[in-house]
Amino acid sequence: MATKTIKIPKVVNGVTTAVDVQVEDYGNASWGPNNKHRLINSRMPRPDAPAKTTGTAMYTHDVRVPGMLFGKMLLSPYAHATVKSIDLTAAKKIVGDKAVMAIAVGAELHYEGAPVAAVAAATPELADDAVRAIKVEYTQVPHVVKGDDALKPDAPPVSLPAGAAGRGTGGGMGAGRAGRGGGTSQGTPEQVEAVLATCDAVVEAEYRTPILHHCCMETHSIVVDYNGGDSATIYCSTQGTFGGIAEAARELSIPQGNVTAIVQHMGGGFGSKGGSIGIVGQWACRLSKQLSRPVKMVMDRRQEFIATGNGPGSIQKVKAGANKDGTLVAVSSTQYSLGGIQRANIAALPYQYAAKTVYSQQLPCLTNEDASVPLRAPGHPQANFASESLMDELAFKLNIDPLEFRKKNAPRNGMNVAWQRQLDRGAKEIGWERRNMVPGAVGTGPLRRGLGCGIGAWGGGGRAQCVVTVDIKQDGSVTASVGSQDLGTGTRTYIRAIVAEELGLEMPDVLERIGNSTYGNANSSGGSTTAASLGPAVKDAAYNARIEMSRRVAPLLGAEADAVLFDGRQVMGGGKALSWKQACAALPAAGISVKGQFVASLSGNGAHGASFAEVEVDIETGHIRVIKMVHVQDAGLPLSRLTMESQINGGMIQSMGMALFEGRVMDADLGVMVNPALNEYKIPGTLEIPETVPVIDDEDPRQVVIGCAEPANIPGVGAIANAIFNACGVRVRELPITPDKILSGLMANAAKKG
Amino acid sequence: MPGTSNDPAIPKSPVNSGWSRRNFLKGVGAAAIAADTILQRVEKSAAADTVDPAAVDTPISGSIPITLNVNGRPRQVTVEPRTTLVSALRDRLDPAVTGPKVGCNMGTCGACTVILNGKPVYGCSILAIDAVGKQISTVEGFGTPENMSPVQAAMVEKDGMMCGFCTSGFVTSITALLRTNPNPTLDQVKAGCKGNFCRCGSYPHLFEAALTAAKNGGGRTGT
Repeated sequence: MATKTIKIPKVVNGVTTAVDVQVEDYGNASWGPNNKHRLINSRMPRPDAPAKTTGTAMYTHDVRVPGMLFGKMLLSPYAHATVKSIDLTAAKKIVGDKAVMAIAVGAELHYEGAPVAAVAAATPELADDAVRAIKVEYTQVPHVVKGDDALKPDAPPVSLPAGAAGRGTGGGMGAGRAGRGGGTSQGTPEQVEAVLATCDAVVEAEYRTPILHHCCMETHSIVVDYNGGDSATIYCSTQGTFGGIAEAARELSIPQGNVTAIVQHMGGGFGSKGGSIGIVGQWACRLSKQLSRPVKMVMDRRQEFIATGNGPGSIQKVKAGANKDGTLVAVSSTQYSLGGIQRANIAALPYQYAAKTVYSQQLPCLTNEDASVPLRAPGHPQANFASESLMDELAFKLNIDPLEFRKKNAPRNGMNVAWQRQLDRGAKEIGWERRNMVPGAVGTGPLRRGLGCGIGAWGGGGRAQCVVTVDIKQDGSVTASVGSQDLGTGTRTYIRAIVAEELGLEMPDVLERIGNSTYGNANSSGGSTTAASLGPAVKDAAYNARIEMSRRVAPLLGAEADAVLFDGRQVMGGGKALSWKQACAALPAAGISVKGQFVASLSGNGAHGASFAEVEVDIETGHIRVIKMVHVQDAGLPLSRLTMESQINGGMIQSMGMALFEGRVMDADLGVMVNPALNEYKIPGTLEIPETVPVIDDEDPRQVVIGCAEPANIPGVGAIANAIFNACGVRVRELPITPDKILSGLMANAAKKG
Repeated sequence: MPGTSNDPAIPKSPVNSGWSRRNFLKGVGAAAIAADTILQRVEKSAAADTVDPAAVDTPISGSIPITLNVNGRPRQVTVEPRTTLVSALRDRLDPAVTGPKVGCNMGTCGACTVILNGKPVYGCSILAIDAVGKQISTVEGFGTPENMSPVQAAMVEKDGMMCGFCTSGFVTSITALLRTNPNPTLDQVKAGCKGNFCRCGSYPHLFEAALTAAKNGGGRTGT
């Protein structure tokens, strides 16, 4: 840390004198202490909020360009089929010969929702008419859509379509992988068995989670503004402004450099819009190319469910043992990840916990369903539900406080301190001492309350990719430009805050310009890496802008360039002060334009969190109500507290959805999704929202930016499942935990007691 | 609809193509007359807030010009009978009114919520022709970024949104709630917007915003 002495003017008894002040300047390699920021790490409203609350924020769904046609897709109604014939005559009569496209006769369709044809029309209604007028004959081929069926030796083979990233083998089950991720195998299944034989408590369980859906409120969509010629603009609802350019250029047969991508606002991604233009983009580009007219393609809600990717399900078989002193000693697991036609990732068990002897194996289980894509912490909430349930089951068998059991078995590494601290903090917030010492024993009426907890881990580190430009004009206006996108996570908020703080300005003084590929490069938002990648680059650009301003303004102040202070919308030094506008008036006509890039020392890696839940179970109806949730999350330096709290709330609420409501339901015989609608695939609504306590872990000493959107989504599922057990004594190992499972469990418990 | 094609393969306008597919009304002249008659019935029904059986008996087809009263202004728009109110606002009005969003198009998510004659309704579940003669208020009508309504300002202050796609619907539902119940409890706020989904999970902050807005003038529009 460098302390600088700067002469600033001070008025005493009407006389201006120069006084020396000591200023800490951390340069561009350090953020300085987390508690010494003026705007960063404070509760700033997001600058894009006024546009969003007044309906003026422009989403891809809202874009309409001159001459634009409305595109619609026809998708496969079968899980597995070949196209026998396609008759486009009637459709072409409605919208014209060139406005209808279809796949080739004979093509194989691998899932319900595989693209078959697309049309473009002057109105959405006409496009619907044209889609309905397309006549397709299919030849059905045997399919498999249930994990259990896919694991049978005689399961129909699931062959992958060209371009799918996975490498499936014949049959529902792909080649196995052992020892991936955190649960690196230190033993064989036989070695684990030998240790288990000596354990004081052993749990053998199978945990299951269904295939999930992102349910972004804005469905996958694109507007391809192409009118012939060699250039185009694409408006895409995407997590990566730059991610679809190559694909669009290829489909339109134009140079990549001639494609501009715009994503001003986007209505939710959660992993499903990771940079590709997707099916909607490919077909919109093809129609646009053929017609030399702009085409807008928007997935309808049903199509969004069956054709835009899912979050993988899981079947996790686990056997684990612990000793009376509370030490987890051996874990053996086989985890099948259900990713449709795509091999999906799942975090290895025992997730973040440590055990001496571990065997861990992850296997894909392929079915005739759309390809899984990342869903908020891909494969982590699934594995975490298993590990946190398992830990609770072992603690119960050993009659140990589940919280103490977790503390004891958290890995002995740098993360350990964080979890110990977060578990204590969360326990205090939820009132952990109120839990039932004997699960289900407390209460006389039908409503039984219980508490549960869990911990989770994530990376959230930064990558070197972003290029940020800060422009300062003669009139004092400041813009920070970068092509990055804001998914609602608060990207705009911290860009503005970082620049304003560095230049001694306020939030309204800076304008951030993002979501446009003509601005500087930026990575797509995935893995909670955006803040840790972009934040440092913004800081670097803002710092460079400050240095450049100092150099320009110092002569006016009669100060050395490194003895200039930017504070309170003033530029001070040499005993003088200029208002920001006065200082900028001295700039050349074009103003100044300064770039910044990723600075590794400003970003960190490794996020930790702990979730707690209080639930109420009605033992007469099986109805579950979450009363309160607490999530403690570290993020190094929190860039923006209000939006971070929103993210933590969102994580808790999505994990509640996964725990209690959500799951794709497939019809095994028909091979189709039974609940492809928001009134059938249940997501949390206003009436289910518990009291939420989002806690930012300010005791995290790291002065670096770490992403935290995904980790907030990880341990809540296990915490709720464990709270349900604590409330009523029913351990449900298959998500979602619906009332019927509670009632079955209560009956089974009663039968056991006799 | 800006821009029409010179390509004969592409329908020149919604009007022409609509006719060719249906034979209820033939010829442009007849259509204009029929449309007028139908419109009168529709307007009459709307004004009386009842259904005129004659209007129901007569098939309405093709594209017809109607006038929608959107945020206090009469707006001319050409629609098909099956065109939903939200599609008329978003896809057909020019300039478009895109505050109300389409999240599900089947009356579940609430992103399309508008206030119709004082009541919050799903814009995707009302036909545009059924909104003729009624007062349609959308989120744009409550305030502007420079002059926000109490609900909009409270949403900003409390961060009652993340991606923001559901926000128009929530602002509209909360505004409608506060106009009928100026001092709601938390549970009443939850019930008042139970027809709206937010996938980002902004609920706790937007509940706070609704309660804050109630203290700051409730369902008023921007001053």
